[in-house]
Parts: sequence; structure tokens; C-alpha cells
Amino acid sequence: MAAPGSSPGVQATQSADTALPLGRPGRRSWTSRLGEYAGFGPALVLFGLFFLVPLGLIVCYSFWQTVDYNVVHDWTFDNYRYFFSVPTYVRTLWATVWVSVAATALTLVLAFPFAYWLARYVPKRYQKVLLILVILPFWTSYLLRVYSWLTILGPQGAMNRFLQWTGATSKPVSFFLYDRPAVILVLVYLYFPFGALTLYASLERFDWNQFRAAMDLGATPRTAMWRILLPQMKPGITTAVIFVFIPILGEYLTPQLVGGARGVMIGNLIVNFFQGAQYTRGAAAALLIAALIVVLLAVFRRSLEVEDPYGT
Amino acid sequence: MARDLDIVSRRGRLTRGALSVWALLIYVFLFAPIVLLVVFSFNANRYGTFPITGWTTKWYGQVFHDYQIRDALTTTIRIALEVTLVSTVVGTAAAFPLVRSRLRFRSGIRIALVLPIMIPGLLIGVSLLVLFTNVFHQELSPTTAVIGQSVYTTPFVLLLVAARLQGFDASLERAASDLGANTFKRLRYVVLPLLAPAILAGALFAFTLSLDEFIITLFLIGSHNTLPIYIYTQVKFGITPEVNALAALLLAASLCLMALAFVLPGIVRRALRLVPRRAG
Repeated sequence: MAAPGSSPGVQATQSADTALPLGRPGRRSWTSRLGEYAGFGPALVLFGLFFLVPLGLIVCYSFWQTVDYNVVHDWTFDNYRYFFSVPTYVRTLWATVWVSVAATALTLVLAFPFAYWLARYVPKRYQKVLLILVILPFWTSYLLRVYSWLTILGPQGAMNRFLQWTGATSKPVSFFLYDRPAVILVLVYLYFPFGALTLYASLERFDWNQFRAAMDLGATPRTAMWRILLPQMKPGITTAVIFVFIPILGEYLTPQLVGGARGVMIGNLIVNFFQGAQYTRGAAAALLIAALIVVLLAVFRRSLEVEDPYGT
Repeated sequence: MARDLDIVSRRGRLTRGALSVWALLIYVFLFAPIVLLVVFSFNANRYGTFPITGWTTKWYGQVFHDYQIRDALTTTIRIALEVTLVSTVVGTAAAFPLVRSRLRFRSGIRIALVLPIMIPGLLIGVSLLVLFTNVFHQELSPTTAVIGQSVYTTPFVLLLVAARLQGFDASLERAASDLGANTFKRLRYVVLPLLAPAILAGALFAFTLSLDEFIITLFLIGSHNTLPIYIYTQVKFGITPEVNALAALLLAASLCLMALAFVLPGIVRRALRLVPRRAG
């Protein structure tokens, strides 16, 4: 069994063509073939009716109109036109992209030395425990992890207390809270386990003898890192980027709790639209996130496919 | 070993030391907020943050006597149990064809099945909101929340069970078949006992995820409250020590459940191994 700690990014199943079908060899009747696929039935209902259909519905809604709180099935680009005609919305869209890129980059930059340390310097038998420790916060309540930062960044929080204690300020400052830096900090905190886990998985497979060979041939550690290690880690880095960036794009809670007016992201706009019964406009905003995700996946598709460039 | 190379050089030792400090800082970064939250929940200060004016368990007492919290707890557990049931059944059933059948688009189907984990929960929440209110004209209730959460939790069960099924020796089942066991008996006496640890881990996973789920529930719960939703409505007005205590309890519950998810499968596996020995 895969450890429960393995990330959703780690695909649990490999090619299973080795498993021979049961029963008599030769051609099988259509009933036995139906039985083979029957297990998909409930999943088909759950994911079809309650995942794919609603997503399709959102696509339709984004091209329909709300008139007097009723949705009219007239196909139009009005919702998108409206979104891009309001400067605040457009600014929020760019801010969302900017914050997501910054938080993802920061997560990976923080996670890489950590994963490197874990994979290279820690004895094998301790690696798993230390990895579980990193993932542990991830399996606690998402809401509480955001909330816990309020007790640190808030006016009465640890940060302010510390500054007052050192004499840096005389009264509480709300500088840490209700702005974009706070949002980025908390996002890094939330998604660090994702980044660390995927990078570690990639580093763990790396054959350090290659590193040594490079240095025997005269490469400096830095050259060995850039020319030998990082190219082989490319699929891992790509996976990490995808698994950190995508959920951040749709963040609602973090900007809501620690972002204030200046930290607003597109997720907050979407919630406001839907709470104001502006379903079609909200759908258009939601589809913009989906579009960004699709663009991201399309950009990284090639490097995702390259599983093992060295054929080891 | 590449390792000796680093130990020999002074620079290698230095790198190693620096990285160890870095790792330590990372652990502090990851655990400090959670630890602080728990510390504050025992703080007598009624603002719920610094300074620490004394230690008390008063806030925990208040949590247990708050009827709103008790209501929310009942709803949360009811939803979590239903979500666990749905996602365990659906996820386990789907794991079989995913691993065993000759699927033409196996990788495509696998991506489609884990998509609900990948995409932001916000999208699942709003899209189901539209489906329930505007298409089905259904009143929002804990049941709609159960459906929404199940979409998100089922892939986790599916992945866990599929991984176990993958490492499953198919010849065991063929042997049972040769000995005359029909499909049902093979399932009942061979497959399910071997899969039990993974299914159990999946169920605990689903339960914990449901307990903590926030964003999908926010859209689909209607006028009811789950604990995360209750905490959210309280937090909007600021930090209170009571919420800190409730938060600490919820943290402890998820950590215990996750620990169980790690430990129980091993115990079950060992227990099941004992049974045939005794019979033989």
C-alpha cells in the first residue's frame, strides 16, 4: 500500500497489463466484459453527474445572461466583456496570477534545499519519518492552518509582540496583515508540503553516483547541480509547479482572512458574484481560472510526459 | 558512495550543516503556527492571543457547553460518516476496473478520476451550487454537502485501493477460482480481506478530509453549520479563545485520525494473517 502520505500527485497505479484476466481463456461473453467494467458504474454517476455535468453547466452559464435574477439562455460574451470592462476585476485577475507565480516560486525555492537535504544527507531509515512530519500539517484542517496565522500576524499576534519586545515599534502595527505579502506567506505555508513531497520524490530517485562522476571529471558541485541534477529533476519540478500553482489560483480563504482589501484574489470575486446571485458573471470569472489551468497544463504537457530522460 | 566525498571536504561539511539548519527552520515554520494555536487555547487572556496571562482549561469547558458548537459537531459527524460510506464504496468499486480491465484510455481515465483533487475546490463548490439550486431546484442541505465532499474525497480512496490492488498477486485469485470459488466467494474470501487495510485507510482518510473540508461545504451546506463553517463565521469577527480551543480540538482529532490511517492498516493486516493460521 502506498503510504497515506503520498500526494495526490503521485499516481498510485502503474501499467497493469501484466494482470491476466480471470476465467477461461479465449473470447469472453459481453456479460463478463460488462462485469469487468461494472465497478465504474457508481463512479460514473458520482463524477459524471456531480462533477463533469456541473462543470459543463458553468461553461454554459458563463455564456448565458442573468436578467432580473433569472438565467436566460441567450448565448453571449457579455459576462466576459463585463469582467474585462471593470478595471478592478482585471487588476484582480493579474494580481491573482502574480501572487500565484510568486507563491509557487517561493514554495519551490524554500522546498528545494529542504528536499535536497532530506534525500542526500539524511540516513534512509529516517527519511520517511521526517517526510511524514512535513506532510503532517497538510492533513490537518485547511481552515485552521490559515486561521493559525492570524494569531501570529494579527495586531496582538506573535509578530507584533516580538517587535514591541525588541523595541522596534511602540504600538501594534497591522503591517503584516491585510496585504499581499501576508497572502503569499500563508500560501507558501499551505502548499509547502506539496512542493517538498514532489521534489523529494524526484530527488530520491536520483543516482548520486552521477553527481560524483561529474565531479571526478572536473565539474564543480554547482556545475554538477545545474548540468546533471536539475535536468533530471525537470519532471518532478514540473509536477511540483502544477500541484502548487493550480490550487493557489482558486484560493478564496487565505485572501479573505489575511489579505484584506489589497490582497483580494479572483476566488473572492467569484464568491461575491455567486453570493450576489450573479451566477452567469461568477461562472465567467470561474471559467477564467479554469482557462488559466488549461494554459498551464498545455505549457507543461511536454515536460510532464518525459518521465525519465536518461532511461535509468 | 557520493556521501563520503562531501564529508571529506570542508566545504561539503559546511553545505551539509547549512542545509540542516535550513531544514530545522522549515520544521519551525511548519509547526509554529499550529503549536501557538494550541498554546493560546490554554491562555487565560480573553483576547485569544499574547500576552499569556495564565493557564486555564476554561475555554474548553465553554466549547462543550455551547449548543451551536454541539449542533455543528453533530452535523459534521453525520456528514463525515455519509461521505465515508459513499466514497469508500464508490472508490473501491472503481479501483477494480481501473487496475484490471483492458482499458484503452487508462491514463486518461486515471487523470479524469483524480481531477477533483487537482482543481480548486472553489470550482467544485460553485458548479454544484448551480446544479442543485438552478437545475434540480433542490434546497441546500447537509445531503448536498455530502455529495459535494464525496466528489473530492472519493479519488483519495480510489488511489489508495488501486495502489493495493496493483501489488496484489492475481494468481491467488486464480487459485481460488481453480478450487471452485465463484466470483462472489473470490471477492468475499480472497480479495476483500487482502484489500481491507487499504480500504480502511481510505475510509479514515475520507472521514478526516470530510471533517476538515471547508470550501465546497461553504457553498452547499445551506443554513446548517459544520465545525469549519462555524469557526469561519466566528473568525470573521476576530480571534476568540473559545474558537482557539475548538480549533485545537479539531486539530487533535484530525491528527489522531490520520495517525490511525497510518497505523491501523498494518494492525489489520497482521490480525488477518493470524486468522488462517489459527484455522489451520
